[in-house]
Amino acid sequence: MSRNVKDRLLQASTYISSALSVIVLAAIIIYLVVNGVSSLSMHLLTGDYYASTANSGVKSDYVYNEPTASYDGEGYYSSKWGIAVEDIVTAHNDEELSVTYVDPNSPFAHMESLVAGQDGQDSALGVGDLIQNVYYEDASGETVFLSKVRMGDAENLIMTLDNEAVAIVSCNFEGLGGGIRGSIIATLYLIVISLVISLPIGIASAIYLHEYANKSKINKLIRQGIDTLTGVPSIIYGLMGVAVLFPVTQLVGATSTSILLGGLTLAIILLPTIISSTEEALIVVPQSLRDGSLSLGATKSQTIFKVVLPCAINGILTGVLLGIGRVIGESAALVYTTSTVISDNPGILTQGTSLSLMIWSIMSGEQPNYQLASAISLIILVIVFVINFIVKIIGKRLARSFM
Amino acid sequence: METCFSVKNLNLYYGDKQALKNINMEIMKNQVTAFIGPSGCGKSTFIRCLNRMNDLIEGCRVEGEVIKDDLDIYSPKQDIVDLRTRVGMVFQKPNPFPMSIYDNIAYGPRCQGLKDRKQLDEIVVRSLKQAALYEEVEGHLDGSAMGLSGGQQQRLCIARCIAMSPEVILMDEPTSALDPISTSKIEDLVLELKKNYTIVIVTHNMQQAARISDVTAFFLLGEVIECDKTDVIFSHPNDVRTENYVTGRFG
Repeated sequence: MSRNVKDRLLQASTYISSALSVIVLAAIIIYLVVNGVSSLSMHLLTGDYYASTANSGVKSDYVYNEPTASYDGEGYYSSKWGIAVEDIVTAHNDEELSVTYVDPNSPFAHMESLVAGQDGQDSALGVGDLIQNVYYEDASGETVFLSKVRMGDAENLIMTLDNEAVAIVSCNFEGLGGGIRGSIIATLYLIVISLVISLPIGIASAIYLHEYANKSKINKLIRQGIDTLTGVPSIIYGLMGVAVLFPVTQLVGATSTSILLGGLTLAIILLPTIISSTEEALIVVPQSLRDGSLSLGATKSQTIFKVVLPCAINGILTGVLLGIGRVIGESAALVYTTSTVISDNPGILTQGTSLSLMIWSIMSGEQPNYQLASAISLIILVIVFVINFIVKIIGKRLARSFM
Repeated sequence: METCFSVKNLNLYYGDKQALKNINMEIMKNQVTAFIGPSGCGKSTFIRCLNRMNDLIEGCRVEGEVIKDDLDIYSPKQDIVDLRTRVGMVFQKPNPFPMSIYDNIAYGPRCQGLKDRKQLDEIVVRSLKQAALYEEVEGHLDGSAMGLSGGQQQRLCIARCIAMSPEVILMDEPTSALDPISTSKIEDLVLELKKNYTIVIVTHNMQQAARISDVTAFFLLGEVIECDKTDVIFSHPNDVRTENYVTGRFG
């Protein structure tokens, strides 16, 4: 084979490889967009995951009034009862009747809970709720049960209520579930907790290793140990988190696995990343700047904090970025430490799932929900992109103020 | 004439290798002392002994005495940070910090704990004027020091050094990275500065040593071959090796 042909072949193979990787990445993103984009909505971002159910009756002191104003928005409107309803398909692929409007004078706006233990509490129907069934009184004074099947679609429900009901008795409805607000909050908690702990420790360790440590055998061993930690599978960190760190979180009042425990475990996972990226940044800072600073009578620590670290800021931010990416993407280490129970209102000491772990949770059930998983994946991509952007801007700002 | 440094039997080792051999020398106050010699002869190593910058090099060991103000600077009683505020240094390559011109010069005083803005302003302006840089940078003191030319950067480093009001300024080949015009500016500056400071300068350029120094020391293979008044060294040196070097027969 001539040298020319060999050269062409090598060149072609690099083209093909890079084209292949671009195609694969593009295919993943296209799959996520196609599957997930229909599930994206404000409700997905801000709503609860668990649908709340309510069984409410019209308050006994309610007196019927005409609706205050006419409504001409989405859905079918009942001018008699002051509510509008439309047909929707939820993130879980169920057909539901969703409330789009409730008039202040409507009986549905003056309801109290009939559930034992909460009876008497205000529990009015709201926009976005899904009507499950309705009890009404017909002209003969009898109470009629309108089941989900008998309600049919939105048009039929409104027609039935308008034509046959003389009074509304009670109603069962659900909130729209499938929201990921809780997991977004939990993910932010995890990022903050892990970075607050691992950044100072990691930067300080890197400073020790690069600026203070001599080349003794012990220091070599420490460095090698840190390098090895990078390659340890994260599930092992998860086990260690439960075994070693759980008692630590108990000291501050955790009774079960918690987001704090997950954050601590992630902090340990991040340490090697942050140490090595900071150290790499320190290596790049020219020795002549340290010499210059020391020759001006600055102490070693002044030199490090006023000259060396500011010069290394971009490398350190790269470490932060890698760290955030790792926290967002981590799931194995969190299975044991934050639990896989999706929580709508996570606290630092309670269980919850990060966005990635939430994907794991909703896909591991009997009915994997590809749409929701794809939507969450899209949101993760957007979050990573936004954080990347913000950190880059901060880096530029810092570099400029220093230059 | 007062003595600034009195060096006695100084030996320096990098690991097993001896880099300086039994150096004895008196460096006088308010004079320019030049060190000349071929590459690797130990002149830079020696100048770094005078403010203990060699401490930063791993495996470096110093024997003997360097007495300044009746105290051996290598004795444990010597505060190194304090020594370096009194003995400043300018390096071969300009090494301004990547900050503003103002912050570069205020860096030393700030490290000493000076915070008063008025005093700092005064120090910055005075130092820049003494380093003959003020007119060129006036009006953009908050601009980046990295935007200056090489010669300006080196004068900035000298100004930064002057801002500490040191007694001695050590210059390690300060013009080797500069063009002839910048070099002559720095040489003029050295002659101007010697009124107030003691200057020790390492140079590869023999004409430079002849032009600006009062005393010249010739180094060869870690030893001081000859140390005398500059005109003696360049016109009728005692040692044949010195003569060979200054006349350009080797080196």
